[in-house]
Amino acid sequence: MKIELKKFGTILVSRPAGKEAWLAFQPVLKETQPVEKIIVDFAEVVVLTPSWADEFLTPLKNKFKNNVELINTDNPSVKATLSILAQPFKM
Amino acid sequence: MHRFIYETMNKLLSIGQVAKLLGVSIDTLRRWDLAGRLRSIRSGPRGHRFYNQSDIDQYLKEIEIVALNWAKSINPITLNPDVYYQTRDVFQVRLEKLQSELSKIAPIEVVSLITAVAGEIGNNSFDHNLGSWPDIPGVFFSYSVRDRKVVLADRGQGILTTLKRVLPELVNFSEALKTAFSETISGRYPEARGNGLKFVRSIIVKNPFSLFFQTGDAQLSLKKDDVELNIQQAENIIKGCFAVISFEELL
Repeated sequence: MKIELKKFGTILVSRPAGKEAWLAFQPVLKETQPVEKIIVDFAEVVVLTPSWADEFLTPLKNKFKNNVELINTDNPSVKATLSILAQPFKM
Repeated sequence: MHRFIYETMNKLLSIGQVAKLLGVSIDTLRRWDLAGRLRSIRSGPRGHRFYNQSDIDQYLKEIEIVALNWAKSINPITLNPDVYYQTRDVFQVRLEKLQSELSKIAPIEVVSLITAVAGEIGNNSFDHNLGSWPDIPGVFFSYSVRDRKVVLADRGQGILTTLKRVLPELVNFSEALKTAFSETISGRYPEARGNGLKFVRSIIVKNPFSLFFQTGDAQLSLKKDDVELNIQQAENIIKGCFAVISFEELL
């Protein structure tokens, strides 16, 4: 399954927004098998911060472990955020 | 008549009067004069410093002065709606406007990283003070694309109060500021997070940006390639936080 983050917005900065994105996406994730590959696409995201990422990417990684793969992570704030999160991601 | 015209057109203020108006010491004004930040006029046989009233009026309108005075005053002025954001939703709208305006003049690195830093600092104010604002909720947020700077301030509880809940051994603002910028620790117990200001530091030291950050009586100056945190004692106490992000060198 592919998650296009731009569908949550292109400026992803606050904790409540990240938490809301995570909650809103639960119905889709519930239909996903734990072994299924999850591709997170950062295309067109202009701004990302650890606050938003902690509420969405961290629980996603906790749930799907090594099946989470990140693509289009070239944006400078995306790179800076991913380098500071405690969880290592596959890119 | 002559004197009347002179006084109304070009009123001069003494260094003591200016110190009171700006809320800084006379020594600070002397330093600012030497550095060219706020020039005085030397007058009289002993070369006393005087200031043009119009220069001071202009200076008081600068966004960081307005923000600083608002953050530190016991009885702050009511801010204009274009710089005051009471809730996170309106702050987000203004942040998007900053991103859009920066996009017209700056490369994606600046747009993305400066917006991320401003977003993280502003949202930190809401994260740590929601439901606990001491008096005025929300943040001061303004920027000058021309002057290449973004200014944020809040009248919240400040970093020491917030971090003391999880680190009771913290005793002063300086230690709290150092901890916030160097360790992954959340003042929002039991949440095991809190790397927002560490993220800010990582961006500032790798890019041609600079940051001035004050909480309580501790102030931090950070710039590209800094390894250590340069934290000093401030002249004034700010209960909440005050930040100036500059990005002049990249453009």
